[in-house]
Amino acid sequence: MDATLISIGLDPLTAKITSMVIISVIVLLAFVTIGGILTLVERRISGFMQSRLGPNRVGPQGALQWVADGVKLILKEDLIPEGADRKLFRIAPYFCLVGIFGTMVVFPWGKGVIVADLNVGLFYFISITALVVFGVLMAGWSSNNKWSLLGGMRAAAQIVSYEIPVGMSLLVPILISGTLSMGGIMASQGWLPWEWMVFKSPFAVLSFIIFFIGSLAEANRTPFDLPEAESELVSGYCTEYSGFRYAVFFLSEWANLFVLGGLTTSVFLGGGNLPGALEGFTILSVLVYLAKVAVVIFVVIWLRWTLPRFRIDQLMSLSWKYLLPGAFIAFLGQAAYMLLTQHTPIVQSIIAVLMFLVFVFVLIRFGLKVRVSINEQRIPVNSPASNVS
Amino acid sequence: MGAYFQNIKDGFTTAFEGMSISFATMFVRKETVQYPEVDISSNATIAEKYKGSLMGMPENYRGILDVDLSLCTACQICQKACPIDCIVIDNIKCDKTKLSDGDGSPVLNRFTQKEALKTRTVTRFDINAAKCMYCGLCEKACPTSAIRHTNQFEMNRESQEELILRFVSDDVKATAEKRASEIEAEAAAKKAAKAKKAQEEKAKEKGAEE
Ligand code: SF4
Ligand code: SF4
Repeated sequence: MDATLISIGLDPLTAKITSMVIISVIVLLAFVTIGGILTLVERRISGFMQSRLGPNRVGPQGALQWVADGVKLILKEDLIPEGADRKLFRIAPYFCLVGIFGTMVVFPWGKGVIVADLNVGLFYFISITALVVFGVLMAGWSSNNKWSLLGGMRAAAQIVSYEIPVGMSLLVPILISGTLSMGGIMASQGWLPWEWMVFKSPFAVLSFIIFFIGSLAEANRTPFDLPEAESELVSGYCTEYSGFRYAVFFLSEWANLFVLGGLTTSVFLGGGNLPGALEGFTILSVLVYLAKVAVVIFVVIWLRWTLPRFRIDQLMSLSWKYLLPGAFIAFLGQAAYMLLTQHTPIVQSIIAVLMFLVFVFVLIRFGLKVRVSINEQRIPVNSPASNVS
Repeated sequence: MGAYFQNIKDGFTTAFEGMSISFATMFVRKETVQYPEVDISSNATIAEKYKGSLMGMPENYRGILDVDLSLCTACQICQKACPIDCIVIDNIKCDKTKLSDGDGSPVLNRFTQKEALKTRTVTRFDINAAKCMYCGLCEKACPTSAIRHTNQFEMNRESQEELILRFVSDDVKATAEKRASEIEAEAAAKKAAKAKKAQEEKAKEKGAEE
């Protein structure tokens, strides 16, 4: 990009800045689109899971609903409550946005498709998302509203406590791949399921589970959406927000969902790796990656519409009493495991395949259970058939 | 310590169970009635387009009122029973008839168990569905069960005026009025004849006395 700009007669510095601006605008737009579409996807899926249809009036099958919502939010008046700390109030949403948007730098969209493959990519990822805490806390504090303050405090407590198990559990993939760079972690995995990070050892499975639960909590997703618990806190830290600023919060929340899926995929689920024969098809690699991200996002949405919300003390005890010891066990166990099987890669592969088979077994059990549920739910509610049983 | 591991196990098994149920629901038909497209004015029309398992309201649902004028004796009891005066009835004399239902058996007054007799007929029977609170008091009071709730609730109209249910059409009203005036004329004629007869008899009696 720089080169093309220089060739049309710009000096190197201007060319660099212009290309940076262009790229970030493109990424930002992509981000907005992803966040918007995810709101729609979530609403449709939640509808299906509750035997409803969800929004399906705006555009074919409701495909343009998110545009309508966005336009509506932007056209609304941007209110600032009396007694609010105006500066903090105004700036808070952008902290959330930047925290999520910043991860795009190290987002491995596919093999070789990454803005900057920093050698501390994962570390950068974890630390930049911590900016969200600032945004949430600032929003809660500056709103001059008790619900907002409680929501902000809860969010801070929650994110800080869950960051520890998440960080600890990410040590396992780092141990296995021996690198902190996102590209390196992805390259250390293969395209076959048992070459993925998650199936590499029993401890990797454990760390994956802890990481997944922890990042759900970090992303404020149900069952851990205490900062916004509607039934208790109206809308938590964004109670007082309206208009464009609210849209920014909203967007970063859903974009966070995508980031969560992306991180899980690239660290644990093999990223955009392709079979050797297809090496080099970048587009295909991106598609594989996005498909995996979509599956993870689906699971997250699915969890949200299945499980009820935790209580605040349960939330804290889950983090400190269950996830944290688990993460320690996973880390130490993985280290010991690697020492023991260091010279016998064949044992490692056998264990990986075994882990995958266990997963398949669980999946089959799940499928059978789903079939039973479907048959049960097929019985109509208001008909003679339902009265018989 | 046992409880600790039990908690972990419970956490996973219950999530497993719950997720299987919500996943299954995705593949079961949806219960949403797409309202303006699906005509919900009767159970039969709902069934045409709608594929979910909710089939209309139960039989004892208190929906929009309906009046079977062939059973109504124009007694106005329902009008008086209504706490918010949303029924308006005008009535007029008619031929004395015994009410009978479809297969010809006589209709009994629900309270007195006597055969219901119709001496008057309605020329106006309006129910303001916008005002009605669906309390069911009119239905309870009606001696012949002419007024009753249907199980329909669809009452979406453009204006309040359209929400007034008029059960007597102008034609029926005109015929009823015509018949009433005939009856009146007949009655008047009968009366006149009777009076004349009485006079004649009086005259006769007088004549006989003299
Ligand atoms: S249902 Fe109640 S409110 Fe409605 S007409 Fe009958 S008595 Fe009146
Ligand atoms: S109470 Fe029944 S019979 Fe009497 S006027 Fe009302 S509907 Fe007719």
